[in-house]
Amino acid sequence: MPAAIKAEGLVKKYITWERRGFIRRTKRIVEALKGVSFNVERGEVFGLLGPNGAGKTTTVKIITTLLLPDEGKAEVLGYDVIEEAEKVREVIGVTLSVEKGFFWKLTGRENLKYFGMLRGLKGRELNKRVEYVLKLVGLDELGASDKLYEEYSLGMKARLALARALLHNPPVLILDEPTIGLDPASARTIRELLVRLAREEDKTVLITTHNMFEAELICDHVAIIDKGKIIAYGTVEELKRKAADRISVELLVTIPKNIIDGVEEKIIALLNIMEVALEPVEGGKTRVRIVAKPGEEEYVVEKLVEWFYSNNIRIHQVRVREPSLEDIFIILTRGKGNAS
Amino acid sequence: MPVKVTDILRAGLFGTFAWIKNNRWLLFSMIIWPYLTAFLLIALGMVYGSLETYRERLGVSNPILYILAGSGIVMSSLFIIDTVATTALYHRWLGTLPYLMLTPTRMYKVLVIEPLPGALISSTMGILAVIPGAVYFEGFLGACKLLIVLLLVYMGMLPLIGLSVIVASITLVLREESNVAAFLTPLILLVSGVFYPLEILPQILQYMSRIFPTSYIVEATRMIATYTIPEFRALLIAVYALVALTLIYNGVASIALTGSERMVKRSGVI
Repeated sequence: MPAAIKAEGLVKKYITWERRGFIRRTKRIVEALKGVSFNVERGEVFGLLGPNGAGKTTTVKIITTLLLPDEGKAEVLGYDVIEEAEKVREVIGVTLSVEKGFFWKLTGRENLKYFGMLRGLKGRELNKRVEYVLKLVGLDELGASDKLYEEYSLGMKARLALARALLHNPPVLILDEPTIGLDPASARTIRELLVRLAREEDKTVLITTHNMFEAELICDHVAIIDKGKIIAYGTVEELKRKAADRISVELLVTIPKNIIDGVEEKIIALLNIMEVALEPVEGGKTRVRIVAKPGEEEYVVEKLVEWFYSNNIRIHQVRVREPSLEDIFIILTRGKGNAS
Repeated sequence: MPVKVTDILRAGLFGTFAWIKNNRWLLFSMIIWPYLTAFLLIALGMVYGSLETYRERLGVSNPILYILAGSGIVMSSLFIIDTVATTALYHRWLGTLPYLMLTPTRMYKVLVIEPLPGALISSTMGILAVIPGAVYFEGFLGACKLLIVLLLVYMGMLPLIGLSVIVASITLVLREESNVAAFLTPLILLVSGVFYPLEILPQILQYMSRIFPTSYIVEATRMIATYTIPEFRALLIAVYALVALTLIYNGVASIALTGSERMVKRSGVI
């Protein structure tokens, strides 16, 4: 049985024009994809992970027939995305942006009916599918089916976008950042639904995300894309094993504003370590995350605590844990590690 | 499931009705628009000369009704251009364009057929809104004449769609969010000859008026609105011109939209 989605050596270059004054413009060629290849098996949830501008959306647009590649080929359920584009469109359900893509002055139900008709659904079948997907995504339960789209919250918009993707009951779902900007409860609902669709209805789901927590929770396989190239591919566990020799040390601290610049470099120099990430969190605190080799974690914590005290950096919490997918992602996309 | 032309038409019709249903002020403005325009034009026209002068120069028996009907025609034509020509831009702004392109059929079919019901309903409304005025001035006969005008508007719609699709193709290809139709609209108003005789325009604009279908519809309306028996041969010439423009514009339009679809998919400016 062929893979549900197959991408082979996809290359895409964009020509952009940078303004240099009112009239003058300079041509620039951006290499968005540099030979992207991966397979998505039937009935699995596949995550295409990568930082902003890595090439995730370009890949999705090529697979969904919205963009032509310069080189390479892609297939969905055996249909070529260039030669058999209409066949591909018949078997995919797509969400490109959860924030827009609907008519503001139509209700959720009316929007779905409109897009259902564009999919060739009619009469009772159309009404039945619309009711089914409204229930499935929980809009019915929220009493939002007959509200105008302009009155929808972001969470409702995301649910409606998923409902549209499911409307014609496609075997393959391709969702570009389906939970971006959603509150934790809405994001969880969408995630649970995607897993249910894959497990119970045997749908193939390809999602793009930079939420590693999400990918770790729901994806059977993931591919990490960066600067237009796939830099890692496998199950979440396989990727984690690649970094099994790394322990993550996390400290929650408050860094005085006058010394915050350059803290990252100072820590790297102090410990001669491979990786450090500083992430601002609530209440003006900062999460300092360090990847250390096994056996070195005690030394790292000791040195860090000592340095933080001497620089009046207040420590709230210290945690040592196994590497997560996020650690792998940071290591790989920053190009400082050797896990790949 | 393969998508047929009728499916796209149904979607366009459903979307238009739902939009009007949820925007009652839109319906009200569509009805009142020709009256407001006609009132404004007559009021402005009175500054330069009496209705009697207007009647003499254009040869119409009832200038008020003629201007009212003319406003309806222009409004209908502008609705068609606005609906069809700006459809790509409108859907791009809304974010619905990729989902229209994901319909399992050729993109140009969706972009041309989907806005048609909206254009048809709007243009019909533009003419039907004038019927109470026609009945007031001319009774039943006035209403009948307007229905003939409506048929002419429908006929004029065919080349206008072609012209609008050419504009839509240019809009799609331009990387900036430029509304090309915004340039076309005042030009059509200027050279349609609806509010003043074309003869008073410079020669170049008179020639230009020949490439816009609206001019022929207005001319045919004037023949009917003179309220004498229209010169049948002159009316036929207007009809032939509309048919010729339909063939030319729609031929160019299908090539333009197919080309722009390819360019859009290469450049990724969706």
